[in-house]
Amino acid sequence: MNSRIEYWVKIPIGPIHPALEEPEKFIITLDGERIINVDVKLGYNLRGLEWIAMRRNYIQLMYLAERICGICSFSHNHTYTRAVEEMAGIEVPERAEYIRVIVGELERIHSHLLNLGVIGHAIGYDTVLHMSWLARERVMDILEAIGGNRVNYAMNTIGGVRRDIEEKQKRAILDMIEYYRKEIMPKIEEIFLYDPTVEARLRDAGVIPKRIAIEYSAQGPTARGSGVKKDVRYNEKLGVYPDLGIKPISPKEFTGVIKGDVFDRMVVRVGELWQSMELIERAFDQMPEGKIKAFAKDNLILLKLKKADGEGIGRYEAPRGEVIHYVRANPGKDIPSKWKAREPTFPNLFAVARALVGEQVADIPVAIASIDPCLSCTDRVAVIDVRTGKREILTEKDLLKASIEKTREINPNASAEPGVVGIGCPRGGLL
Amino acid sequence: MNIIYATLGLIGLYIYVSFASLLWEGLDRKLVARMQRRIGPPLLQPFYDFLKLVSKESIIPRHAGRMFELAPVFTLAVSIALLAYTPIGFAPLFSTKGDVIVFIYLLTLIAFIRVLGAINSGSPYAQIGAQREIIILVSREVPMMLGLFAILWRLSKLGVSRPFSLATFYEHNIWEIGTPLTFMGAILLLFVFLAWLASEIEVGYFNIPEAEEEIAEGPMAEYSGRHLALFKLSNALKEFISASLVVAIFFPWGISGLVGLTGAGAMIADLIFHTIKVFMVLFASMSIFRAVTGRLRITQAVQVFWLRMLPAAIIGVLLIAIDVLEVIA
Repeated sequence: MNSRIEYWVKIPIGPIHPALEEPEKFIITLDGERIINVDVKLGYNLRGLEWIAMRRNYIQLMYLAERICGICSFSHNHTYTRAVEEMAGIEVPERAEYIRVIVGELERIHSHLLNLGVIGHAIGYDTVLHMSWLARERVMDILEAIGGNRVNYAMNTIGGVRRDIEEKQKRAILDMIEYYRKEIMPKIEEIFLYDPTVEARLRDAGVIPKRIAIEYSAQGPTARGSGVKKDVRYNEKLGVYPDLGIKPISPKEFTGVIKGDVFDRMVVRVGELWQSMELIERAFDQMPEGKIKAFAKDNLILLKLKKADGEGIGRYEAPRGEVIHYVRANPGKDIPSKWKAREPTFPNLFAVARALVGEQVADIPVAIASIDPCLSCTDRVAVIDVRTGKREILTEKDLLKASIEKTREINPNASAEPGVVGIGCPRGGLL
Repeated sequence: MNIIYATLGLIGLYIYVSFASLLWEGLDRKLVARMQRRIGPPLLQPFYDFLKLVSKESIIPRHAGRMFELAPVFTLAVSIALLAYTPIGFAPLFSTKGDVIVFIYLLTLIAFIRVLGAINSGSPYAQIGAQREIIILVSREVPMMLGLFAILWRLSKLGVSRPFSLATFYEHNIWEIGTPLTFMGAILLLFVFLAWLASEIEVGYFNIPEAEEEIAEGPMAEYSGRHLALFKLSNALKEFISASLVVAIFFPWGISGLVGLTGAGAMIADLIFHTIKVFMVLFASMSIFRAVTGRLRITQAVQVFWLRMLPAAIIGVLLIAIDVLEVIA
């Protein structure tokens, strides 16, 4: 009787749990405090958006895209309009691009301040939560002044933006930047770069090494915190961003090391707050006068899009990572035949689930919060057999098999041997 | 006759401390809310919470054992028994020779019964919380007991009627010895005791067994209604009692001697003055501490006690004892 008895416990984190802001489920196998395995279950926030989209025209879809998620409402809207513009070959006026940059960066500031507070809450440091959310009120007020709404500001339209930024609003934004530079950013740096409690809890917690970040295709601050130089605004020379001197933030600029832990992801977010403020200021300096939209009226857009054919892909760096929207036209109709969105949370979630193995229970809330998960964005796909009502979950294995079959069907002469990149999805098992 | 008076006194004390400790909970929530730029709940919110919880149905999980229902009752019973051995501005009501052992035993028993109740609840969150509670209990008691016994031993050298009784602190106190070394040692031990207090009442760094965001209130995960109300009350009592120990060791001075009261009037004046001192100690160790720190991992918290607090306690104890040991002239 000298063999070690292993006492493993499976505990569910979610769908409803104090650590989570939105319903998702992690089934965690524990050996005492040590995590043995993490299983992710998604689909608790499925609202059937793509099904709703099948009966919406291009203009109505803009509003639907905006309501995918409350925090990155501008990002989804922006990405969708980019996809449609690429599909129909619509030129966007330069001033509109600059206004998109300004609103997008304001949204990034509010999203990152929110996430910094959530991280404070996850380690039981509630003062950080209350103070950073108090600071966030200022940028929310600005967004309300520009768009008329705190959350869904509906700035974009296909071929431009709906509202101009006036002199009064410009002054308010510059005042806000001044306030953040003087009052808020020193405090935020004090907490997230130098506070001993925060460093003790965030350092070496939920480490995603660079290799895992690349294999799981982590996005946004999660990838940049692991040392991957990945930022769509920089890599894809998106819109007018190259003129504004964008470059991916690396935690090395602040702390000198890249470890890929929660601390580094937070450092990236602090760096992006500084960067966003600079981008807004430069955008105001360089912004030309002129038109703000390509079409005077919305029905002209629909008229143009009815004639469009082909497909378009929009990419944009949302606060959480890269958002991709895919739109395929349906010639002769004002309803696209296919609209699909891919959110950064989906790859990030599996990367962080992988990173949690071997860590402690205490790291679960902070590691999950560090990727800033947005489940209302992620949960859109479920396969349900209508005749039997049976719900089927497709694993990576099934999807890969299906896509190989499809490739063979389209191109029987395909010579490349398809395979899994990296170690594959933890849920699908190894091929 | 004497025992009847003492028992009546204990009942009166129990009622008074229940009110005072629940009032402190309200004060603490209000103060922390102010530090976080919030308005905070009303001052009497803990009373409302308690009354509401008492009136609500208590849900017993299907897999819960017998201890699950008994644990809240036992915890409150032990807390009340502990009040009889707590220094509260004057010597404990049931003060005897060596009652410090009973005090520490009962204080540990509260945590132990909580753990029994949690394990019997059948919830995995409560299991993890119970494990954490035991781990941190084992770590925090060592530096505290070392400091407490060393101080009592040092004071007994000054000549007291009942050595190793908590009544000792009202005859002599640590600052009376007066040499610079004992002064430094006492300051060091004060820090050790404040850290012990924070971990005893589970705030700030040491809010680990009940970590809300990690394991959903840990040992309390399955409790509701009346049972939870009893736990809330005994927790509030425990906060008051633990802080009373720190106050008795380091700030034992009474107010009755200054204003010339005697008899029952003196006791009431001392009790109220003691309550104010307890609130001030709790303000430092609880409100401020939980407003300016977050929660540590369990491994880090254990390291704080074994690698920081225990050496600090040893040094403090040596500094206090060094002139009695006669190693230096």
